[in-house]
Amino acid sequence: MTTQPIVREFEADLRVVEANSGATDVVVLDLAAPDGTDLPPWTPGAHVDLVLGDDLVRQYSLAGSPADRGRWRVGVLRTPDSRGGSKAVHEIAAGDTVRVRGPRNHFPMVASPRYLFIAGGIGITPMLPMIEEAEAAGADWRLVYGGRSRSSMAFLDELSAYGDKVTLVPQDEAGMLDLDGLLGTPEPGTLVYTCGPTGLLDAIEQRCEAWPSGSLHLERFAAKAVDSSGDEEFELVLARSGLTLTVPADKSVYDVCKAAGVSVVGSCLEGVCGTCETEIVEVDGDVDHRDSLLNDDEKEANDAMMICVSRCSGRLTLDL
Amino acid sequence: MRGRGDTAGYPRNAWYALAAADEIGAEPYGTRALDRPVVLFRATDGTVVALGDRDAHRPYPLSLGRVEGDTIVSGYSGFAYDRTGACVRVPSQEQVPYGARVPSYPVREEGGLVWVWLGERSLAERRLPAPTPWLTDPAWETFGGQWETAANIRLLQDNFGDITHVAVVDPVLAPPALSGVAPVLEVELTETTVSFHRDWPAAPVPGWQAELTGGSATEAYPQREEGAFLSPGLWADRWDVVLPDGTQTFRFTHAITPVDARHTRHLWRVSRNFAPGEHATATMRPMFESYYRKVREILETMQQVIDRDGYGEDVNVAADLAVLQVRRIMRRWVADEG
Repeated sequence: MTTQPIVREFEADLRVVEANSGATDVVVLDLAAPDGTDLPPWTPGAHVDLVLGDDLVRQYSLAGSPADRGRWRVGVLRTPDSRGGSKAVHEIAAGDTVRVRGPRNHFPMVASPRYLFIAGGIGITPMLPMIEEAEAAGADWRLVYGGRSRSSMAFLDELSAYGDKVTLVPQDEAGMLDLDGLLGTPEPGTLVYTCGPTGLLDAIEQRCEAWPSGSLHLERFAAKAVDSSGDEEFELVLARSGLTLTVPADKSVYDVCKAAGVSVVGSCLEGVCGTCETEIVEVDGDVDHRDSLLNDDEKEANDAMMICVSRCSGRLTLDL
Repeated sequence: MRGRGDTAGYPRNAWYALAAADEIGAEPYGTRALDRPVVLFRATDGTVVALGDRDAHRPYPLSLGRVEGDTIVSGYSGFAYDRTGACVRVPSQEQVPYGARVPSYPVREEGGLVWVWLGERSLAERRLPAPTPWLTDPAWETFGGQWETAANIRLLQDNFGDITHVAVVDPVLAPPALSGVAPVLEVELTETTVSFHRDWPAAPVPGWQAELTGGSATEAYPQREEGAFLSPGLWADRWDVVLPDGTQTFRFTHAITPVDARHTRHLWRVSRNFAPGEHATATMRPMFESYYRKVREILETMQQVIDRDGYGEDVNVAADLAVLQVRRIMRRWVADEG
């Protein structure tokens, strides 16, 4: 047997060239290579991992401009229920070094003549490069940006340049986002891009059910709740490696591959980052897609799955 | 195993090389890329202009006309177009027909190649072509060639993504290391690029390389292979031989441009940081050219098989990991264009 290939993502220790307060509880970090060389290219919607500790890896959208190859910018909200990620980021200061992995993009911007961007709170970060690109392309776009209050909403200065294409909805002045008004009537030809708290995304997803398939693009950074009580073992065939394995009820496909010495890439391990997306060759049974990335059409197509969380009944053959 | 490679699509939003910079002067240069006719010429300030190669008046290529200063004049209608593609003069009347124009495309010269952006214009400056400094750096000696390969760009991508075929196709050119069992392939991904390397066990250099450098043909040296898919139209690969007194490196640059779904322009460059001079170039050029021609013939045969019998369910092996990642990125570029 030949040696199995190893696959990994770009990973580097980057210098924090600026760390500024973007708003109440929001820190904005600008990262650059210590030797000033260009960073890998990326496109709007991309995110990176900040590796903050051995078991502390968090995903943050790139909020700067893809045209600036020298710097990556992230905006991070300190969350009260933080599992430690945002707290650790808020302790980073200019001059520090931080390990960064990626970029990757599971929220890509599909070309369209018209966009509706809806941001909730820190969900504004991936929207910034998107609106820059939409504006440059001369697309017809608007951004509706909700937050608790003006002082909690980051990047207001940058957004002021866009005039009335941007609608700010600070909750303490204007109440909640009027989703019925925004999304009540499907607009064929408009793509909806949204990022924000889970509750907002769920509400938007529900209202977009009447929209043409493929209209809604959303990014979640918190995993959906999954009931794993009924999990059962299943057979896993790795086509390129020529291995047949068993995935026990309490292990993921990702874990089983790693244990078998097959190089797989993974990052969040909860179905939100998309790093471990793997092509499906054949399914004998049903795939249970448990990630927060694939839309219903993609799940039904069964072309690919996130092997960190998704499972199968019966026999699953993957392109590994 | 089955790969989802059964699409012949290619992204439009990318920089593609259309010609070598030294081919473009004041004579119009007609070519095709992305299923479109394009004419290139050099304006009086030395910059290259890229326009749609079809007179707005009648279906006649502008490349069959002539360049006058910063305009190109149709060899049939006499319509003259400026560097923005706007029609600025017609022979038969004073009034220039309103709105008469041909498409114009952003151009950049990089590494001695003329790169043209034929996609969404606003993205051109936001996704600059990857730098290839070794192509113009005097520390590297470069030769190359170009031609059209009658095959889809994907077949070329697949070829560059895995060099284990070289020892099969051209045992004389191939480094002897390649004929052993391939060591572990390490692949590094970013959102839009795939790079990979293998550290090959110590082996002699090919006889011709030893002869050109006056080195040993029997002594074994560690060797390293690198490949990088930098954009849909650009691969930059290298081969290092680690000698006691320094590293002999070849860089292989492949600029590939879809002409249409069944034809791809291939501009190849071989650069080296050793054995300078005409003599070494004269020895190596025919060897590499012969190898690349064999590759072209093979890829054209593959295209004929596909045309006749369709995309099959190719069996992929471990060495194809990089290729499969490249296909994934290519599919995504195509999908994002809507």
